[in-house]
Amino acid sequence: MDLELAEEQQMVIDMAKAMLEEHCPTQLVRDMEDDAHGVPAELWSQMSDLGLNGLLIPEEYGGGGLGLLEGAFVYEELGRAMAPVPHFVSCVLSAKVLLAAGSDAQKEAWLGKIADGSAILTPAWLEPERGQGEKGIALEAKSEGATFKLTGRKRSVPYASAADQLVVLARTDAGVDLFLVDPNASGVTMKQLLSQGREPQYQIDFDGVAVSAENRIGEAGTGWATWNAAMHEGIILLAAQAIGGADRCLVETVDYANQRIQFDKPLGAFQALAHYMADASTRIDGGRVLVHEAAWNADQGRTIARFAPMAKLFCCEAYRETTRVCAQIWGGVAFTIEYDQQMFFRRAKALQLSWWDTPYLEELIASDVLD
Amino acid sequence: MDFDFSPEEQKFAEEVDAWLVENRDPVVMDHHRENFTQLSDTPERRAFMKKLAAKGWLGMSWPKEFGGQEIEGVYEYILNEALSKHAAPQIGKGVGIIGKTLIRHGNDFLKQKFLPLILDAEIEFAVGYSEPEAGSDAANMQLRADKVEGGWLLNGQKMWTTSAHFADWYWVGARTDQDKPKHDGLSLFLIDMDNPNLEVQSLPTIGKDTTNQVFFDDVFVPDEYLVGQQGKGFQMISEALDLERFTMFTLSPIANRSEVLVDWVKEAKRDDEPLKDDTNVRRTIAHIMTDTAVAKALSTRFVCAAKSGGKPPTIESSQYKLFTTSLSQRVCKDALDIQGHEGTIMEGQDDAPLRGRFEGAYRATMNETVGGGSSEIQKNIIARRHLGLPKNF
Ligand SMILES: Cc1cc2nc3c(=O)[nH]c(=O)nc-3n(C[C@H](O)[C@H](O)[C@H](O)COP(=O)(O)OP(=O)(O)OC[C@H]3O[C@@H](n4cnc5c(N)ncnc54)[C@H](O)[C@@H]3O)c2cc1C
Ligand SMILES: Cc1cc2nc3c(=O)[nH]c(=O)nc-3n(C[C@H](O)[C@H](O)[C@H](O)COP(=O)(O)OP(=O)(O)OC[C@H]3O[C@@H](n4cnc5c(N)ncnc54)[C@H](O)[C@@H]3O)c2cc1C
Repeated sequence: MDLELAEEQQMVIDMAKAMLEEHCPTQLVRDMEDDAHGVPAELWSQMSDLGLNGLLIPEEYGGGGLGLLEGAFVYEELGRAMAPVPHFVSCVLSAKVLLAAGSDAQKEAWLGKIADGSAILTPAWLEPERGQGEKGIALEAKSEGATFKLTGRKRSVPYASAADQLVVLARTDAGVDLFLVDPNASGVTMKQLLSQGREPQYQIDFDGVAVSAENRIGEAGTGWATWNAAMHEGIILLAAQAIGGADRCLVETVDYANQRIQFDKPLGAFQALAHYMADASTRIDGGRVLVHEAAWNADQGRTIARFAPMAKLFCCEAYRETTRVCAQIWGGVAFTIEYDQQMFFRRAKALQLSWWDTPYLEELIASDVLD
Repeated sequence: MDFDFSPEEQKFAEEVDAWLVENRDPVVMDHHRENFTQLSDTPERRAFMKKLAAKGWLGMSWPKEFGGQEIEGVYEYILNEALSKHAAPQIGKGVGIIGKTLIRHGNDFLKQKFLPLILDAEIEFAVGYSEPEAGSDAANMQLRADKVEGGWLLNGQKMWTTSAHFADWYWVGARTDQDKPKHDGLSLFLIDMDNPNLEVQSLPTIGKDTTNQVFFDDVFVPDEYLVGQQGKGFQMISEALDLERFTMFTLSPIANRSEVLVDWVKEAKRDDEPLKDDTNVRRTIAHIMTDTAVAKALSTRFVCAAKSGGKPPTIESSQYKLFTTSLSQRVCKDALDIQGHEGTIMEGQDDAPLRGRFEGAYRATMNETVGGGSSEIQKNIIARRHLGLPKNF
């Protein structure tokens, strides 16, 4: 057992940290909230130039070919910076789906562009009033010879207005399938949804959108399995992102607690508050090791059916709880827009409920443990 | 980064595991009980400890000149985890606390006298820090040690001395300098428990084991039984407490408990329906298993920090103890909630679910968040030394 970082791993962290400190100040995060397009050009190109967008994509497609563990290090930094970028939807989920099930032509067409940031892909997954499991996919893809006709509604599609392709989960005769769909195709209409996390999100209506069968990703009926596998890897990174956000929120709060004087003492001298912070730090440090363990297991080719949902469940709860007690420690100012606390507080809840929420994760864990 | 044991460590873990299967002794290794065999003394337990000693497994991390093997503490961790997984007694305070402190600070006489006895499992210790007025505030010990010709005379009282009713020797903190600041006035002694001026009174607890209070009435301790430098007792105790958190609060009993509960839930029924199909039960199990995984992660972090040498893993051990002891209690509480009213049937009765294992554990684990430094004390340590918050508490 050894938790030391290799030199190259530390370099990845330092590089991501330094770049984000320079190119992702809090002001940028604020400016991008509810932006219709949502991709800060300069930050995005910095990430591409440093190889972060291609981090998890094999070298043959122009990526860095690194593992989920390195991904987790970078995601902790993205979480710390609250970086408003479509990295997760494009460079993780879409890339993983294509890598696992895409045809050679699909991989050739998109993976290089995802890696260098010149194209953005995003999954169109959730539907109004439907759940997050396989049953939730109702959007119909009707086979008509060499084409499929897609009809139905997706909600909460992140970065849809900036996307070059949508990765649509749809129901076919064979079950659930994944399709690459051009967002400019006729029959596609979008409406922006405002949400607590303030990333750009869209509701998308598909009105008999014609998609050639070549644009199906993988064999008929395999879409859910592909998606499910990509999600299991992806949520480990989101857990790392949660730890990054929680850690920064705590660090800034400790700093504030050392400076703000009430009753002739710094706030941190009140044990009631100090104990909140000690608990938060314990959850953060424990969650971080769990994330690393999950990512390491994935990189070793071992099953993550249990680890991945545990990491997301625990770390997102830790993030939410940390932002709650930290807001308490800041007192009244935490409630104002002027202070940054509210940004962490909103994002923590949004992240917890995004990409498999608490009940869904609990059930994944329970079925792995009990059934 | 590597979450697996190294091949040598793995080999050792397997060796220990196989040995424990082969040497299974139902009297000292009882899976129906919680793993507190340490706290009660039987001839079988002493015989078992002698076997461990014969394997060379006591004091593996000690220097060679004192009979150890100079191998990393991770081997002691592996051994301890395996012992508790098999519900066997652990290597104990002699090796982990007293031996290590004597090696670092003891005089030649004490080293020569006690270290071989510890390695041979010939000796049982009791640890006496706590007093009525010195619990969390360990530096506030009032037991008096007055200098007399050739030694010291001790007068006063200790509280909560586990094992005092069967221990051979007593590891005791006492105040040797009445006018120094409280942290600088304490010294450590080794006292023969046969001393006629010591009176041990049993103090039954809500758990299954008893602890004791001990009264000192002119107990004479010869000079050579002063451990280390006079006045440095508190510093040595703090160091030893870090070691105690490492050796005493093993993860296996907690992880085992979670697994026992899961296995039971898988089989249990209510109104002919499988209990495991109940949504609340499923949610509870998901959280218990997740938190158990986090506890394991914290223990890995702690072991790795201890391995990397340098400074003692104080923060890691505090976070580990804080998180796992509260989890330990939560698992018992949740288990009783799941078992419902039947779960309250006393341990040992055939009609109780799991023969009342969780009923017993619910009582017995209550002291985990208090003993060895309470949760609040751990939080103070984390807040001050890790987060850098002011020293106001
Ligand atoms: C929406 C809103 C509306 C408000 N409206 C009004 C109004 O109309 N009129 C008005 O006068 N005020 C108003 N307030 C101010 C409100 O009363 C203060 O926010 C509150 O008293 C806390 O003070 P503070 O925000 O300065 O936090 P601080 O006093 O800085 O406290 C920060 C943290 O330290 C803790 N803390 C402070 N002292 C101790 C201690 N001794 N022991 C332990 N913990 C301690 C607090 O509990 C808190 O968690 C309003 C506040 C808000 C958020
Ligand atoms: C079964 C059992 C076996 C034990 N065995 C031994 C033994 O073998 N040898 C030995 O020396 N001791 C032993 N102990 C004693 C144990 O170490 C003490 O119980 C423990 O250190 C707490 O002390 P206390 O019980 O006096 O509680 P107190 O110190 O009175 O604490 C009471 C409460 O106040 C809180 N508190 C105290 N100080 C602070 C602070 N600064 N900030 C915030 N909260 C605080 C505590 O966390 C606790 O919640 C044993 C205890 C038990 C229950």
